[in-house]
Parts: sequence; C-alpha cells; structure tokens
Amino acid sequence: MTFLDRTTDARRFRHWEGNVEADYIYTSGVAGERFFVALRDEGRILASRCTSCDLNYLPPRMFCEDCFAELTEYLDVPKTGQVAAVTVAYEDRTGAKLSHPQVWGFVIFKGIRGGLLHRLLVPPARARAGLAVRPKLRPREARTGTIADIDGFEPVRF
Amino acid sequence: MTLFRRRLQETGKEMCFEATKMALDSAGLTRADVDTVVCGTAPDAFDGVAMKGEYLLDGCGGYRKPYTRVFTGGGTGVFSTIAGWWHVASGLADVALVVNEEKMSSCQPHPQSVFAHIWDPILDRPLKPNLVWIFAMEMNRYMTVYGVKKEDIARVAVKNKRNAVGHPCAQLADPNITVDDVLNSEVMAWPVQRLDISPPSDGASAVVLASEDFIRKRRIKDRAWISGVGWCIDSTMWTDRDLVFPEYVARAAKMAYKMAKIDEPRRQIDFAEPYDPFDYKELHHLEGLLLADKGEAPTLTREGVTERDGKMPVCPSGGLLGVGNPIAATMGMKIGELFWQLTGQAGERQIPREVHTGVSQAWGDLMQYGSVVVMRA
Repeated sequence: MTFLDRTTDARRFRHWEGNVEADYIYTSGVAGERFFVALRDEGRILASRCTSCDLNYLPPRMFCEDCFAELTEYLDVPKTGQVAAVTVAYEDRTGAKLSHPQVWGFVIFKGIRGGLLHRLLVPPARARAGLAVRPKLRPREARTGTIADIDGFEPVRF
Repeated sequence: MTLFRRRLQETGKEMCFEATKMALDSAGLTRADVDTVVCGTAPDAFDGVAMKGEYLLDGCGGYRKPYTRVFTGGGTGVFSTIAGWWHVASGLADVALVVNEEKMSSCQPHPQSVFAHIWDPILDRPLKPNLVWIFAMEMNRYMTVYGVKKEDIARVAVKNKRNAVGHPCAQLADPNITVDDVLNSEVMAWPVQRLDISPPSDGASAVVLASEDFIRKRRIKDRAWISGVGWCIDSTMWTDRDLVFPEYVARAAKMAYKMAKIDEPRRQIDFAEPYDPFDYKELHHLEGLLLADKGEAPTLTREGVTERDGKMPVCPSGGLLGVGNPIAATMGMKIGELFWQLTGQAGERQIPREVHTGVSQAWGDLMQYGSVVVMRA
C-alpha cells in the first residue's frame, strides 16, 4: 500500500523524470512602456491619472479598474514616499541561509493608489513602517528601463 | 475583439481592457451595470503568469465583482459563454460579462513547448511527442476510414483564409490562396502541412450577456438570444476515443439542440461556426454537430455548400485558420460571429441571405471536449 509507505524520495518508485521547458518574453505593455522609459531616460517615477475617479495609479495602468476609462494622463509621484510595511529575509526560497539579511519594503506615496515593492537601503535594525524614503536610482548610463533601474529606497534623513 | 497577431505590445490585462471596453460600449453599458464577470483563458504556462485569472481580472472589469475564471482547453472559446449564460439563466445576474484572453507570444521559443506537457507524463512523454502528431493521426484515421482526399481537406483552409479577408482582426487572411498552396506547404507531421494549421496568436475578445428583462428595460437593440447550450468531455485516454467521429461534440450538440427545440439541425440551422484549428477539424465537427452525415463533410465542402453563399455557410468569420488562434479568445469568431451575423453587422462577411439561427462549437482539452451554443436572431 503506497499510501501507508512513508518516503520522501519519489525515486524509490519506478518513475520518469521530466521538466517543463518554457522561457518567456514579457512585454511591459502600453502603460509599462511609458513608466519604464521615463524611469530610464529622465529618472522619473510616473503614475497614471483617472480624472473622473480622482485616482492616480502606481504602477501606472492604461485603464481605471473602477470606472473603466482609458487613462492617458501621467504625473510624477511625490519625491518622498513612506514605508507602509517591511520584512527582513534571512533565508532564500529554498530555505538556505542568506549571507546578509535582506530588507524589503512596500513604499507608498501621498495621493497615489498602489505603491512599489523594493529593497530598503537601511540596516535590518532600522527597518520600520513609517520611515520617509526616496528612490535611489542607478546612474543614467547603467539604467536599462527595468524596475532594477531603482537600486532601492533610502531614508530621507540619516 | 482586439486584433489577433503573433505578437502584440499590450499586456494580457491591456488586451482584456480593450476587448471589454468595446463590448460594453457596443451594448451601451458601463462596468457599473455588470453583475458578474467570467474570464476564459488557457493554461497559465502560455502567458507565463501563475494564477492568470487573478492576474487578468482588472482588465476584464472584474474588480470587486463576483468573478470566475473557467478553462476547458480550446473548448473555452465557447464554454466561457456557457458559464456566463448560467449566471443569467439561473436568475443570479442580470448582466454577465465574458472576457477571453490569450497571450501566446510570451512563451518561447514557441507555445508548442508547453503543449508538449499535456501528454501523459509516464506513457507518452518519454517518447518526446509533438502535439501535432496526435492531430496528424486523427486526420489520417479520418482520411483512411472515409477515403478522404487531402485536397478536399485543404479546401477548408482555402475557404476560411479567404473568408477572413473581411475580418478587421484577421492575422492570416489571404484572398488569393489556392488548394495547391496548401498542398505544397511544408509537411510538419504527415498529413498535416503548414497551411492546414491555424497560427498561435495574441488577442482578447469579450461579450455581454443579459437577461430578457434587462435588455427590454434598457432598450438594447443589438441583441441575439442564446437558445441552447451543451458541453461534454470524452475519455481521459486519447487511445480510447473514436478518432473518426467526435462523439463528445455530438453529445454536446444534442444537449444544446434539445434545449433550443431543434430536431432537424440541417433544416433548422442556417449557418455554423465550428472550431477549425486544423482544416480537417471543421469537417470532423460538422459531422459531430449533425450538420453532415458521417464522412460527408468533405463532399459538402467540395460542392460549395459551406461557402459563405452556400446552403450552409460554415466559418463565415474566417475561423481560426484565417483570423488566428489565441485559444480562448477565439470566442471572437465563434460567439462573436453568431452575434454579428444574426444582427446583420458582419459587414463584408455578412451571409448574403437572411439568417435566423446559428450554432457555434469549440473543441479542447486533449481532443476530447466539445462546447456548443445555439443562438437565434
């Protein structure tokens, strides 16, 4: 009875090993194009604006999920954001210990719906919700138009 | 319905938004009028996003609504409408929005690498099969049993790619294609050649389903009525199925016909949109839909019966062969074309006589699933 056998090694049974080989190319889309080009070329973080709902979406979307209008107006998010939540990672997703703990935060901006998940550039002991932060961008020549063009968020005052 | 193309810049969500907005605008409704949303979309592995239903929901208009994702392989092209219909028919919703999407270009180098994993992992996959093989065997079996000539099958590809010329979303319309072009195209897995197959595509489509009361109250003029639905799945083992006659389509069709009070389908149905990812499948499905006797569909095609101006127009939209095959989003040709033909809005594709009743059908999972909808003007 297989059900009553306790084993963690499936290879003990007759088996076939397979892998799902699939690689992907994801397009950033219409709103994503606007967002990442502005980030790369001008170092700006843009939100898209729904005038009828008075909502600003970050990351920008090409449509309002509520009133379903197509959004074509973009604006800069405020220079300073606020950390809404933090976590400090000690293990990677396989359970292996990280050489240094990683600090992650969810950063929100006043008047903006949504926010960004990113690294917090502070020691674990200083990671806390409520911290005022600003984006630290990679130098212009190193930016390629991806979310990694932002190194992370650093405190406004040290 | 969006453009169907091999690659589009838009994300899946953005394609859904475009299709949904078009459907709502054409019905004169807004998202606020929608009670429930059904999203139809194929395996997550095509778009490369796990939990694709959840990922697409804002583009589908599902934000803070009762929302469901359904999937029955290629059968989703018609099945999602059935899932939308039962929300309205049960009285639970007045307005159900159905949005289907596929972004197959994300998957590299080709979606075939994902299709390869729908085979049985122990019995078939160690042989490294290609999905085209199984269709090639089904096509070969059909040809063998009825003595069908390859050129009569190729006529379906020619008809549909020509029909697609009038379709504004079409990816592979060709006004000049000939039977010889199909017969001379590269052999992929004999007897399947390049032009026997529909292409993978990016695209989205959407339909609005509403109750009779709602349609009357809002005085919506452009409407067609769903009068029958049916769906059925065959054995899980492809080796246990009849490769010549799609019994699962016949059962789904009988279920839909019974509901629609159709007892003589060839007389009572004016046109059909069967699923045509391969040219031989249109023939198979016409027989499954009981619109042709067993083995008779190639003859009807050769005699011009299934042409747009024939006695039983089949795939006047241009079908998957002509418009493209973004799996679930083929709802745009299957359900969409019934609506456009029955409301006289098919433009260049309009069947040149009055039509009152149409049937659409989609086919899916591992060639075992049939979904059927009958619609009336």
